[in-house]
Amino acid sequence: MAAKRPIKVLVTKIGLDGHDRGSRVVAAFLRDAGMEVVYTPPWQKIDAVVKLSLEEDVDVIGVSCLATDHLLIPKLLQALREADLKHIRVVVGGIVPDEDEKMLLDAGVSRVIHPGTALKDIATAIFDLAHEARAVDEFS
Amino acid sequence: MSARPRDEVEQLLERLIAGQRFALARAITLIESRAGPAPSILRSIRSAIGNARTLGLTGAPGVGKSTLINAVVREYRSRNKTVAVAAVDPSSPLSGGAVLGDRVRMGEHGGDDGVFIRSISSRGHLGGLSATTAQVVDLMDAAGWERIIVETVGAGQSQVEIAQVADVSVVVCAPGLGDDVQAMKAGILEIADVLVVNKADHPRADETYTQLVGMLDLGCGNRRSVPVLSTVATNGRGVVALVDAIEQRLPDSDSALRREHAARRIRFLIAQAAAHELKTYLSAESEAYMHELCERVARGELSVDKAARALLDAALKARD
Amino acid sequence: MAEKTASMLQAETVKANAKWRHDYQQRIPEDSTVTNRSGIDIKPLYGPDDWDSNRYMRDLGYPGQPPMTRGIYPTMYRGRTWSQRQLIGLGTPEDYNLRLRRLIEAGNSAISLIPCNSVYRGYDIDEVDPLLLGTCGTTVNTIEDMDRCFQAIDIGRISTAMNDPLPFTLLALLLAVAEKRGVSWQKITGTSNQSDYISHFVANHMFFRLALPGCRRVLVDHIAFCNDRVPNWNPLSVVGQHMQQAGATPAQAMAFTLCTAMHYVEDCLARGLDPARFLPRFTFFFDVSISFFEEIAKFRAGRRLWQEIVQQRFGVTEPRAWRFKFHAQTSGVDLTRQQPLNNIARVTVQAMAGIFGGLQSLHTDSYDEVLSSPTESAAQVAVNTQNVLREEAHLTDVIDPLGGSYYVETLTDQMEREIRSVIAHIDAAGGMFKAVETGLVQSMIGESAREFARKVESGEQVIVGVNAYQTEEDASMRQPLERPSAEGVQDQLNRLQRFKADRDRHKVDRALYELAAAADSEKVNVYSKVVDAAIACVTHGEIVACLRREYGDGVPLVEV
Repeated sequence: MAAKRPIKVLVTKIGLDGHDRGSRVVAAFLRDAGMEVVYTPPWQKIDAVVKLSLEEDVDVIGVSCLATDHLLIPKLLQALREADLKHIRVVVGGIVPDEDEKMLLDAGVSRVIHPGTALKDIATAIFDLAHEARAVDEFS
Repeated sequence: MSARPRDEVEQLLERLIAGQRFALARAITLIESRAGPAPSILRSIRSAIGNARTLGLTGAPGVGKSTLINAVVREYRSRNKTVAVAAVDPSSPLSGGAVLGDRVRMGEHGGDDGVFIRSISSRGHLGGLSATTAQVVDLMDAAGWERIIVETVGAGQSQVEIAQVADVSVVVCAPGLGDDVQAMKAGILEIADVLVVNKADHPRADETYTQLVGMLDLGCGNRRSVPVLSTVATNGRGVVALVDAIEQRLPDSDSALRREHAARRIRFLIAQAAAHELKTYLSAESEAYMHELCERVARGELSVDKAARALLDAALKARD
Repeated sequence: MAEKTASMLQAETVKANAKWRHDYQQRIPEDSTVTNRSGIDIKPLYGPDDWDSNRYMRDLGYPGQPPMTRGIYPTMYRGRTWSQRQLIGLGTPEDYNLRLRRLIEAGNSAISLIPCNSVYRGYDIDEVDPLLLGTCGTTVNTIEDMDRCFQAIDIGRISTAMNDPLPFTLLALLLAVAEKRGVSWQKITGTSNQSDYISHFVANHMFFRLALPGCRRVLVDHIAFCNDRVPNWNPLSVVGQHMQQAGATPAQAMAFTLCTAMHYVEDCLARGLDPARFLPRFTFFFDVSISFFEEIAKFRAGRRLWQEIVQQRFGVTEPRAWRFKFHAQTSGVDLTRQQPLNNIARVTVQAMAGIFGGLQSLHTDSYDEVLSSPTESAAQVAVNTQNVLREEAHLTDVIDPLGGSYYVETLTDQMEREIRSVIAHIDAAGGMFKAVETGLVQSMIGESAREFARKVESGEQVIVGVNAYQTEEDASMRQPLERPSAEGVQDQLNRLQRFKADRDRHKVDRALYELAAAADSEKVNVYSKVVDAAIACVTHGEIVACLRREYGDGVPLVEV
């Protein structure tokens, strides 16, 4: 039954940077792969991302980061836990320095996706993570 | 999912009626995906609905609909009303996927617990309004939201459908977008309870306003007085008057009009469910029979009307 | 006699051409189609059939003369080399000032000021998460900050390019400093980069602060104000860079930029400004991708078209108004995280394309920009890439050295046709403003971006180190990052607090009141009130917030 429901992904950007070519291309690709993509413009506040993920009941959140906006990701994960949305998987895509990648994974990010990753690999990763999210979630 | 223990669904319903946001979000997911417990959820919430008021807001792309909704939500919040928004986006007929991008304009209520926004993919429904939108509205109602805004894009059928679901239908247009005012004549003016000219600071706004009023005078919206209001959604001008106009047109809770709306919505739900049943039958089980009917119509043995009736009969028999 | 020779030569050419065709097809019976990013098919060879030198005067002419194909000045790089304008801006105003002084001591007079992303978004530093401050640009919020940026520097003797979106608070702060120091505004020179709100609405959303109608009003007021009061300042830079970075093809990017410029010309004319005065102060800003010949052709075609547009569409006869002055930045989109040193080679090729395209000013990207904000050593390599091209490779010796190449001239013509057809499409949609309001341009760009992604995904477009020639990489080789210290950030926050506490609150309130009133009235130049506010110690964030209240917040139209 769960397979009948399309995978639902939030593609968003937090922090201050506004370069959204990457997030738009990924969003369109995921749509064409049959997913429902909730797309936001850049500069979302963390509480807004949490609220949106909750109301939209998404399986995965993809956050595109350039500049140093990824430094805010641990705060996002903390806020998701506090909102009791532990099942949602978070992936970070974009320019993330190596030393920060480890920090993000330790904080609970499922995957860090670097520039140059093939779009179909991104879609596969999200597909797998969505199923993981549904497996641990009591209501799906 | 159909094997879900009953008490789990009951728990979800309790939490939904208690106003828990995630319970509403998940219930919508279940309804949208027509999951096993969906019918029982819809049955169980019947007694809890009827308190919300629903407004439909529709208009062509580029009229500033989302920005206007943003402003309307802000106004309702300043009047201490809670607001839920159901934004319907078209899904791709090819992949079934969708980008639910109308979120774009709704950032500012991101921290406000008095606002609930859900995007709904039309999932191939022809009218543009998702097949389950009316049910989503009922869920939002049961969860205690006071005002529900249904946003739809596109032209034609979806706007007529929205009138079935909404207590008040607002149709938005904007100057400088070409011939959309002319094109609107077809169906929209007939369902509009309130007309809005957004982007009223545009140099050609007066022209659009005059055109609309002219069309109303010609009898295109001949039912009762339909106000034409001007707004500038980007800075909030005219939004107070718009919300006043909407509120004036909302039916009281035990008025005849309200009962009429409720009955109309249930009728719509039944018709929609029937259409869905038929569609499921047609796409799944009837291939051979359909093929046969096609041949017979092509040979001139059967009229199209008769073939349709035969198909309906077969579908009903298959149900039993 | 001479005639006979000519016809004999002609016959010889035809024969030789036929033989070459035959030989080529023998060796490559099924030639693969090569298409450039703008969708133009590229042949294996170009010759006199493709471009006839009899068209020289019509299509090329001489440098500094219409149709300007070969360059906008008679002397080009022989007279003066291009400006090497590297973006600088890191950390606090003090950090910036130190770096600036080193540059000026080294003989630079063309400098830039890149503010922190918090500034771009229209905020003061006390309005955002401190984790993000000063990591990618300088934090400038007040007249005091601006004064520190230019401590011990004569602001009347440098030319400053400021990344300063509407409502141009940084220029206002600079003018406030000039007034305080007694430097005449006549002596303030430089450019308001990032003044092109259309490009922000469409592509670089970071800079989009006010709703469109507000942008429209403030930009024209800004141009009028600068023309009158700061006459040596370039108030407008029309930006093709963002759209190309967002995915537009080179031809689309050029077409959209020209359409945008036309929209601004029309708005200025509608205000009654004199084109002979405002047009010579228009500048352009482009991305240079690694598609070498295509970029060269893009610039040559764009320059020719702009001359035609200004002279024919707008009927402006002042030759200075025909000059297509542009700054180019090598494209970060082409750079890869994989094998980052390869980026030095990419930047070199991009820079050469820009130089052969006839740019007036160039920024070369650092090879490590895909990893993080550039380190100083990488920035040094980027600057020296330009020095090597000029000093060692002698690229400046000859004006328009590729002029007359059969391929380059044919491609220039084809790019021109492609650009014209996009312009016609936008014209038919009611002009650039309407085309972006309805999302037409956004969806064209999105489509091109997806098409390019598809080519990379399928391997049709090879990217070295990404979809071909991959190697195992040792991440430990990468340079550590420079980040501002938490104490430095805290110091600045404290300073802002003190600044706000010490200023004359009454003056601040009055300046904000007058700014809001001007925004609402047609009679007062809004930008003059932005400058007054900066002088009255109103902060950057307060000015932007005030205009956001008046005009509405800038929400870009995003089409996926």
